[in-house]
Amino acid sequence: MKGICGKLLDVDLASGRTKEIGIADETAAKYLGGRGLGARLLFDLLPAKTDPLSSENILIFLTGPFTGSMVPGSSKFVVVTKSPLTGGWCDSYSSGRISLEIKKAGYDGLVIRGRANHPCYLQISDKGVEIREADRIWGKDSFETETTLKGLEGNGSAGVSSIGPAGENLCSYACINSDFYRQAGRGGVGAVMGYKRLKAIVAKGGKKVEYHDHKRVVELNRANYERAKVSQVFQARSKYGTPLTLNFTHTGGILPTKNFQFGTWEKALGKIDSVGVYKSVKAHRSCQSCFVHCSLITEVAEGKYKGTTLEGPEYETLGMFGSNLLIDSLPTIIQANVLCDKLGLDTISTGNVIGFAMECFEKGLLTARQMDGLEMKFGDDEACLAAIEMIVHRRGFGDILAQGVRETARRIGGGSDRFAMQVKGLEFPAYDPRGAFGSGLSYAVSPRGACHRRAWPPAKEILGGVPPFTIEGKGEMIRGLYAENCIFHSLLVCDMPAKFIPLPLDDYAIYFEAVTGLSISQADFQTMAGRTETLIRMFNNREGFTRADDTLPYRTLKEPLPDGPGKGQCVGEENLRRMIDDFYSCQGWDAAGIPTEATLRKYDLKNTL
Amino acid sequence: MKVIVNLFGVEVRLKQEIFVEPVSPALKSVVKSMKEQGVGQLERFIDDRIAPVDGSVILVNGRNFLSLDGWETQIHAGDELTFMVPVAGG
Repeated sequence: MKGICGKLLDVDLASGRTKEIGIADETAAKYLGGRGLGARLLFDLLPAKTDPLSSENILIFLTGPFTGSMVPGSSKFVVVTKSPLTGGWCDSYSSGRISLEIKKAGYDGLVIRGRANHPCYLQISDKGVEIREADRIWGKDSFETETTLKGLEGNGSAGVSSIGPAGENLCSYACINSDFYRQAGRGGVGAVMGYKRLKAIVAKGGKKVEYHDHKRVVELNRANYERAKVSQVFQARSKYGTPLTLNFTHTGGILPTKNFQFGTWEKALGKIDSVGVYKSVKAHRSCQSCFVHCSLITEVAEGKYKGTTLEGPEYETLGMFGSNLLIDSLPTIIQANVLCDKLGLDTISTGNVIGFAMECFEKGLLTARQMDGLEMKFGDDEACLAAIEMIVHRRGFGDILAQGVRETARRIGGGSDRFAMQVKGLEFPAYDPRGAFGSGLSYAVSPRGACHRRAWPPAKEILGGVPPFTIEGKGEMIRGLYAENCIFHSLLVCDMPAKFIPLPLDDYAIYFEAVTGLSISQADFQTMAGRTETLIRMFNNREGFTRADDTLPYRTLKEPLPDGPGKGQCVGEENLRRMIDDFYSCQGWDAAGIPTEATLRKYDLKNTL
Repeated sequence: MKVIVNLFGVEVRLKQEIFVEPVSPALKSVVKSMKEQGVGQLERFIDDRIAPVDGSVILVNGRNFLSLDGWETQIHAGDELTFMVPVAGG
C-alpha cells in the first residue's frame, strides 16, 4: 500500500532500546491510520488496568496515509494513550510539521514506552532515533524549548513537539505543543509525556514518501481550490476563522456562560466574537498542505498586554476563557491563551476548571485564603491569569485544580459536583447541550469524555434544521457523525477543509486511491469506522468503564437553561437514557454498552476478546 | 414592524434594526419585503426566488426556521432573524 511506510518506531525510554514494529498492508487497510490504527495498537500493546502515570503506559504518535501528500488538511497527527484525566481511551489531535518529518524519516508513527531516568528528548532522523539528555531545557516553556531545539545544527526546519512546565508537573490536562501555537490539547497527553521525562520530540527526515499518483493529487487540489474559491463558506471561514462560531453559539443559545449557567452573552458581541477578534488580526495562515487559511495571527494593540501575538484565539478559547468566565477583554483572553500554550495547558479544560472555581467562590465553597489570596470572581481578569500560574506550578489549591474539575469537585464537596461540567473526567468544551440535545448524547457516550471532536451535533440541530429539543433519531444521528469524524481522524485529515471547502467523503475516497493505489468504497469507510468505534468501546470496557459512565452532569440533566432559544430546556435523565439505548443499538452494542457477538463478527473483532 | 437582523457570512453584520411592511407575518413574506427594500448583503444568503443561496440558513430567534414552521413561521415585532452561511464549529 503506497502512502504508508509500513513501520513504527518503538522506543523504550527506560532501557534506551529501540526497534521497529511492522504494519501489514492488511492492518493498514482495515484501520487506515490515526484513530483507527491507534485503537488497534492501544488495545493490543497496553496491559489492562495500567496506571496512566506509570512507566507501563505507552504514548503513541501516529500519522495517516495522507501525511505529506498535499491532500488538504493532511498535516495532522494524533497522540493516543491512556488518559490520566479520565483513566480511559485518549486520542488528541494536532497539526504540526512533525507529522511530515516523522514520515520522511521512514515511519508511520512512534510507540514510546517506559520512563527515562533523566529528562530527555528524542531526535529522529533517517538513521533512526537518539535519546538525548534534556537537562538544559527541562523547566523551560514550550516556546523556549522549541526555539532552543530548532537552533541546534540541522534542526532549522525540523518538526518539534514539546511539553511545558504543566506537563513536567503532571497536570492532568497538560498538552503537547507543536509549531509554537498548535496543541494536542485534550485528555492530559502532556502529563503522560512529562511522567516519562520526555521533554520533546524532534524529527527531521530526508526520505521521499512514495505515493501512487502524486500528479492526480495535484490535479484534484487544483479542482478543489477552484471549488473553494467560489464557496461563501470557505471565504467566511478563511476570513473570520473559528471566532465566527461564537456569534453562532450565542445566537443559538449554546454559548457557555458563567460556568454553563447561561447559554447567551450579549457582552461578547463586538468584543470577543468574530467582529472583535477580526480587529486584532494581522495575518492569516494555513497549515502546511492546506489552502484553507483559517488560522488568524492576532496582536494586542494597546494596554498592558500590548504587542502580545498569538496564532488564535480559536472559538473554544474564546468561549471557555471569555463568556464562561464573564471576561469580555480580548487582550486578557489572548494573554491567557499564550500562557496556556507556553506553559502547556489545554485551554478548554483550564477555562472550564477556572469557571468552576469561580462558581465555587461565588457560592462560598472556595475561599480567597485557599487561592493564595485570589478572589475568584467571575469577570476578574487578574484572578484568571494568576490561577493559570497556580495550576501549572501546582501552588496551593492550584495543586487540586491541576487534577481537573471532577477531582476538584470531589475535594470541595458541598454538592459542587452538580455544576462540575465534565463527562468521565474530561471537561466540557464550549457548547451547552441543553440547547441541542444531540450534543448531550455525544458528550455522554464519547469514549474520551465530553468532547466536541467526535461529533458536532449543532451542525444538524441548529444549522441543519433537525429539532434540537427532541430525542427521536438522535442515536443514529450521533452514530453517523461519529463515523464521519472517525474516517477523517483515521485518514488524519482536518475536518475543516472537509466541511468548509466543502469536501464530501466521496472526494476523500478519490484522494485515497490517488495516494495509496487502493480503491475504497463508502461502505469500506463505514465498516472501518464501526470497527474502530467498537474496538475503542471494548478498550474502555476492559479498563472498567460501564454504561454508568455514559452520563452528564446534574446541571445539564436537570437545571433548565434560563435564557436563549433553549430557555426552559434541560436534557433530562429519561431523555438521555432513551438516546443512549438508541445509540447503543445503532452501534450494535447491547443495553449495557457491550458489543454483541454479531457486531464482533461483523467487524472481525472476535479474536480481540 | 421592526425586526433585528444578523448576517454571518463573508461579511458579519450584527443587530441591524430593519423596518419591514410584509404582506403577512409569515417568514417568507418578511424576507421578501426585506429583499424589496434592498437590505445590504442579503443577496448573499437569499436569492430573488426567496430560496437560500449556498445552503444558507435562517435562524428565527436562534432556531432554524426548518425546525419551526418553515417559511410559514410567524414573525413578530422585535424578533431576531439571522442569515448565515453554514459555517461554524471549531
